Amino acid sequence: MKKILATLLVLVTAISLCACGSRDGDKDKITLTMWCIATKSDSNRASYEAAIKDMEKKYPDIKLDWSATENEAYKTKIKTAVSGNSMPDIFFTWSCAFLGDFVKADKVYCLDNAYKKFANDLDEKMCKNTTYDGKKYGVPLTMNIVGLFANMDILKEVGYNDVPGTYDELIACCDKLVAAGKIPFGCAGKETWCVTEYLESIIEKSCGAKTLDDIFVNGATWDNADVTKAVNIFQEMITKKYFDPNGVALSNDEIKGNFIAGQYAFYMNGTWNCADFAKAGINVKVAEFPVIDSSKSKLGQLIGGPSDTLAVAKSSKNAEKAAEYTFELGKLICKYGYLDGCGLPAWKVDYDESKVNALTQSVAKIVAASDYMVLFGDTAMPSDEAQKYLEFVAKVYTSEVNGKQFTDGLKAAIR
Amino acid sequence: MRVMTNRKNDWISIILFLLPALILFIGILVAPLIASGYFSFFEWKGFGDKTYIGLQNYKDLFDGTEVPFLLSAKNALLLALFSLIIQLPLSLGLALLLGKGVKGERFFLSVNFLPVLISSVVIGTLWKKIYYPTGGLLNSVLRALGILKKGQADILWLAESAINPQTGKRYSYILGAVFVPMIWQYVGYHMLLMYAGVKSVPPELREAAKIDGATDGQINRHIVLPSMKQIIKVCVIFSVTGSFKAYDLIAILATYKTRQAAVPSILLLDQTINWGKYGRGSAVAVLLIIMCFLAAIIISEVFKDREKV
Amino acid sequence: MGRKEASMDLSQYQVGKSSKTVRVFIWIFMVVWACINLYPLYWMLTFSLKDNLQIWTTNKFGLPDPWVWGNYKEALDSGPIFKYFFNSILVALFTIALTLIAALMATYAISRIQWRFSKTVERIFMLGITIPIQASVVPVFVVLNKLEMLDSYQALVIPYAAFALAMAILICSGFMTEIPISLDEAAYIDGCGRAGVFFKVILPLMKPAMATASIYTFLQCWNELMFAQTFNTADKYMTLPVGIMQLTGTHTTNWGAVGAALSIATIPMVIIYVLLSRRIQDSFIAGAIKG
Repeated sequence: MKKILATLLVLVTAISLCACGSRDGDKDKITLTMWCIATKSDSNRASYEAAIKDMEKKYPDIKLDWSATENEAYKTKIKTAVSGNSMPDIFFTWSCAFLGDFVKADKVYCLDNAYKKFANDLDEKMCKNTTYDGKKYGVPLTMNIVGLFANMDILKEVGYNDVPGTYDELIACCDKLVAAGKIPFGCAGKETWCVTEYLESIIEKSCGAKTLDDIFVNGATWDNADVTKAVNIFQEMITKKYFDPNGVALSNDEIKGNFIAGQYAFYMNGTWNCADFAKAGINVKVAEFPVIDSSKSKLGQLIGGPSDTLAVAKSSKNAEKAAEYTFELGKLICKYGYLDGCGLPAWKVDYDESKVNALTQSVAKIVAASDYMVLFGDTAMPSDEAQKYLEFVAKVYTSEVNGKQFTDGLKAAIR
Repeated sequence: MRVMTNRKNDWISIILFLLPALILFIGILVAPLIASGYFSFFEWKGFGDKTYIGLQNYKDLFDGTEVPFLLSAKNALLLALFSLIIQLPLSLGLALLLGKGVKGERFFLSVNFLPVLISSVVIGTLWKKIYYPTGGLLNSVLRALGILKKGQADILWLAESAINPQTGKRYSYILGAVFVPMIWQYVGYHMLLMYAGVKSVPPELREAAKIDGATDGQINRHIVLPSMKQIIKVCVIFSVTGSFKAYDLIAILATYKTRQAAVPSILLLDQTINWGKYGRGSAVAVLLIIMCFLAAIIISEVFKDREKV
Repeated sequence: MGRKEASMDLSQYQVGKSSKTVRVFIWIFMVVWACINLYPLYWMLTFSLKDNLQIWTTNKFGLPDPWVWGNYKEALDSGPIFKYFFNSILVALFTIALTLIAALMATYAISRIQWRFSKTVERIFMLGITIPIQASVVPVFVVLNKLEMLDSYQALVIPYAAFALAMAILICSGFMTEIPISLDEAAYIDGCGRAGVFFKVILPLMKPAMATASIYTFLQCWNELMFAQTFNTADKYMTLPVGIMQLTGTHTTNWGAVGAALSIATIPMVIIYVLLSRRIQDSFIAGAIKG
């Protein structure tokens, strides 16, 4: 037994020595560290890899040491690192509230100086979600909006060759689908963000983008008659059996699978799905949700916008270099991401985009024609408000609260 | 002999023997515990400015408007109760059967332990399929047995709240639905622990009792079980504290946003990460640790009394 | 306590002389229970050979159709999965070693030496099994960061051992109190010191406890994800569960490949366990005879 103990002790020491001895690197090169969520099978992985490869040529003096963590775990990890003061030089973040918390805690390097060089390629508007007190803190990557995906094979069966363009047509189409024994919509109740994709679009097209944006980020009250009405419209769609009744017990993977398998006519979700649908070879078209109240809203008002962001830590020893590097890197990730169909470009396009899949291209057209984008509510709002909001949204989908209770409840819980 | 076992220089050997454990314990477990206790009095995101708010975090937990802490504590207690009355007796029965020697003892021992070896991701995904509303295993079985009749709607096992379209009544089976796999997965875990206890009963003792004409039942009651008291105590403590700390299968099957099936660990993580309320999450942690510790002490006391009787 | 009664009733039936029907009934129960426990393994293997559409919608339970062998290729291509495997094994072995050393020594001090605060100290150690891992991520991170130990094997071994410690002490003391104190006293008479008793008398009799505690320590760290992905980011030290999480994307995940990676991670464990369980059982029996 003593021998075993001794051997173990020697091994432990040996291992710790190995671990210590392996920390060295090129002396002329600057090493920058980066954390992101592009895990090895993430749809954005290829664009990160391609972009980083290009960057190696462009900045031979900089070595990028990067690692990716799964989405949910990443939130824990980056918050832990901020808390423990050991942030990487460059880190992935979501815009608005998530990055805002770090900015408020004075942990993020201001990018105003570095931006000047890239102002021609990156529209000021695209930095809106990462600008705090007039200062820029983030480099946007690709962006996404909520799209109404329609399975054209199913729509054809009830006599439609195109996605219904007006609200009345959409309702008529759903009625026909229900009568024919088809399920119009699938929505994952186990993942509340999926419900918001529907609800936010319906609210926006009822009360107008500006009003919704004010409620989300500018401190307007939730006590709004149009919001109440919109929630009731959504619930009426549920009672009219437009939604898969199993949805409240399913997760998004299951709902998305069902849509691809042809069980639903429509699926409303982020446009990051385009590449998957194109790959699955199903006959899908994408459109924006039709206008419900044309006196308040109009086509071109969308839910979505730049959220995926890279930022630079204030604690970085090479913050200035890292800032410039991050802009350049973000631009390339955006380019390759768009070409792969992972999302839409937040940066100006100065390359051939004809090879992008047709679905993503039609989303690009919708975005080009848009004039107001309201960011996803749970990203836009401060984190505690967002959680309260999500709880009410979940209850809307299970019909535990109606429109009035929704707006009253949120008025009491938030403002 | 007392003289030998109470020598004066014993303090040195006591400290030396305790040292490795103490270093690990204080550095990794106690320090964070103290930190959690301290942070639970602050409004804090985990970084940036802290504001001292006294007992407000605890008040938030107990008034329950934002955080269903009391419900989560109740759920954890329920899970512990079910573990005690279903999981452990089952494990004990299996351990006694296997320990005595059943045909294929080794095979059963290995197979029953499998669910513990398999990642919770797999177990969770499998149970998602079992609970799948239309065409899922459970509903299909219920249909085949005639419990779910032809015109009746599928049962939405994992819904937070669902309405039965026939009766218009609301129901929610999610809590029970997540408990079943959680209790099942660890039967093998306790079985193996208890099996070790059964096997450490000297076979001569068994033989001697048999020669005296004892039945296997009597042997189990008078020889095997009494000698397993310590192991059973360990199992009860694991089972109860494990129930209080339950996390992964709930996160997979019911998600963080669950309301009906909330448990303290889920709230803890949801508060610190999603809500950005590190202080409140720490308060959950403190209460959870107190719960577990009290349970462990109560269990020890129960077993101590029984030892004396 | 209903718990005990119920189990005793069950145990009465397994009497060797009991009626044949009861024995058949028990046998059938054992076989059914075994099938229930085997099913996840079968299901994991089929799951690893399906695509998303089959997994989620069209073919939830049946054999794969078509068989998607590409999942294994994707899982293997996703990263140095064998390196992760090796890391996991290494972390597990060192955790077990550290836990056992610390736990056996502490248990000896608590349960074999008579002193005033031994019960109190044991209770304080018991606090360890009550601490949820979720509550400790940030504070432990801060501690490891201060010690400059992030991104290394120690970053996992030390916290894992600390968390497994209380459980190991519980298991060990459960076994150690069963060892008759007269054995120690005989050894003292023979002129042994504390260390002599510990190494020559106690340790040889603790084999079943060590086997049991090793299994439980192993289980605790083998599938652990939260610490692993927060404390170790470098590819070099990444453990298997973190490596597997690399296969889940933000919006799109090929679950079949995740299943394949999980199978690659699980199957060797099952084989090792089956092989080891033989030896573990032998050690149980050996311990029993000597005790």
